[in-house]
Amino acid sequence: MEEVVRFTVNGEAVSVRAGAGWNLLRVLREGLGLTGAKEGCGAGECGACTVLVDGAAVNACLFPAPEAEGRSVVTIEGLAAREEAGGVGRLHPIQQAFVDHGAVQCGFCTPGMVLSAKALLDRSPEPDEAEIRTALAGNICRCTGYTQILEAVRAAAQARREVPRG
Amino acid sequence: MHAFEYLRPETLEEALAFLAGREGAVPVAGATDVWVGIQGKKIAPSALVSLRRIPGLAGIREEGGAVTLGAATTHAAVEDSALLRERLPALHRACSAVGSRQVRNVGTVGGNLCNAAPSADSAVPLLLYDAVCVARGPGGERAIPVAEFFLAPGKNALDPGEILVHIRVPAPTPSGRTYADYWKLTRRKAVELPILGVGVRVSLDGDGVVRQARVALGVAGPTPLRARAAEAALEGRPLTRETAAAAAEAAAQEAQVRDSWRGKAWYRRQMIRVLVPRVLERAGALEGEV
Repeated sequence: MEEVVRFTVNGEAVSVRAGAGWNLLRVLREGLGLTGAKEGCGAGECGACTVLVDGAAVNACLFPAPEAEGRSVVTIEGLAAREEAGGVGRLHPIQQAFVDHGAVQCGFCTPGMVLSAKALLDRSPEPDEAEIRTALAGNICRCTGYTQILEAVRAAAQARREVPRG
Repeated sequence: MHAFEYLRPETLEEALAFLAGREGAVPVAGATDVWVGIQGKKIAPSALVSLRRIPGLAGIREEGGAVTLGAATTHAAVEDSALLRERLPALHRACSAVGSRQVRNVGTVGGNLCNAAPSADSAVPLLLYDAVCVARGPGGERAIPVAEFFLAPGKNALDPGEILVHIRVPAPTPSGRTYADYWKLTRRKAVELPILGVGVRVSLDGDGVVRQARVALGVAGPTPLRARAAEAALEGRPLTRETAAAAAEAAAQEAQVRDSWRGKAWYRRQMIRVLVPRVLERAGALEGEV
């Protein structure tokens, strides 16, 4: 019942042997060494395992591995701009906003939060407060009390508006 | 985790054949509830038959006033649908309140119904709208009114080997203005099953008399259910605070509420009294502060 799953992760085609009953989180962490997505609850309730599948935020812990076949997955590792030769990698604007606004403490929820925010802004570039809160409602943070996280997302949305993106 | 197959048929016929050929095989779309059940060792299917690749099982269609949802339509698709926000506001509200966006992107209306929890958010509005569940099985196609779809907690009316394929909401019989809404009573704003679910739908004629009423409750019995005494208390009368309160009392009396860790029976019964009129207010059928 083991099977090979072929899909795209952060723009790269991959092929991973997934064991029986594997979820996408295990494929990413154990199959590909992409440990940015975390297991917080294993039951789809905390959002620490959030990744994007075809642009939509999902809990990787509940996403059956075979369903990733043919799909495009984005993890937190895929957000920062790659290092250019001799240059320095740049954080994605949402990541930078989290840093600038003190929205990261232990960091465990951060990959999921950033990806939920990215899914929101990609779909709805000018979200109001209620939309932001709804989009992040599936991501639990035990450290920050959420205030700085919400500020960071508002700031990232604002920054996006000011700099037209291609 | 016990070993199970994960099959991805490309047609409904293939899916039906997989189910017929394997005892203990379960059809899934988003598989969220089923996956949690397997990990929690509550269920141990021999195989999951994923319906996700089968064309035509997801999607929202309107034809002649009737709305059809493919069973594999995600809650997120309902949430994002301007058509459903306008035409089926109670269902729109319910699906938008399921879990979190991450859950809604994967979980489906059909899965929510087939899981047959007494708390199923999408079930209460579908009861209000007199929806019909359409299933396909070895014997062909079968239509099951949603009020007959739930047999017991966790038990739906599908026969072994049958798959729910779509949910049809009939065109409303024209009768003046219709108001409908669903209230999901929870302790927090997301990632929570309801303590209680209250849905009300009324159609009023030009004199404000209720021509048709539907009152449905979740977590007020072994299955999502219609509060028919409450409906009878509304129909044929002008809709006022007094008639709404009387209907709320009737619903509270006929509900089979229980104590559970999320709430006590007395609290649920009292909140039925509070929420039936409040749902009518929020739907715009009754004046007042919400």
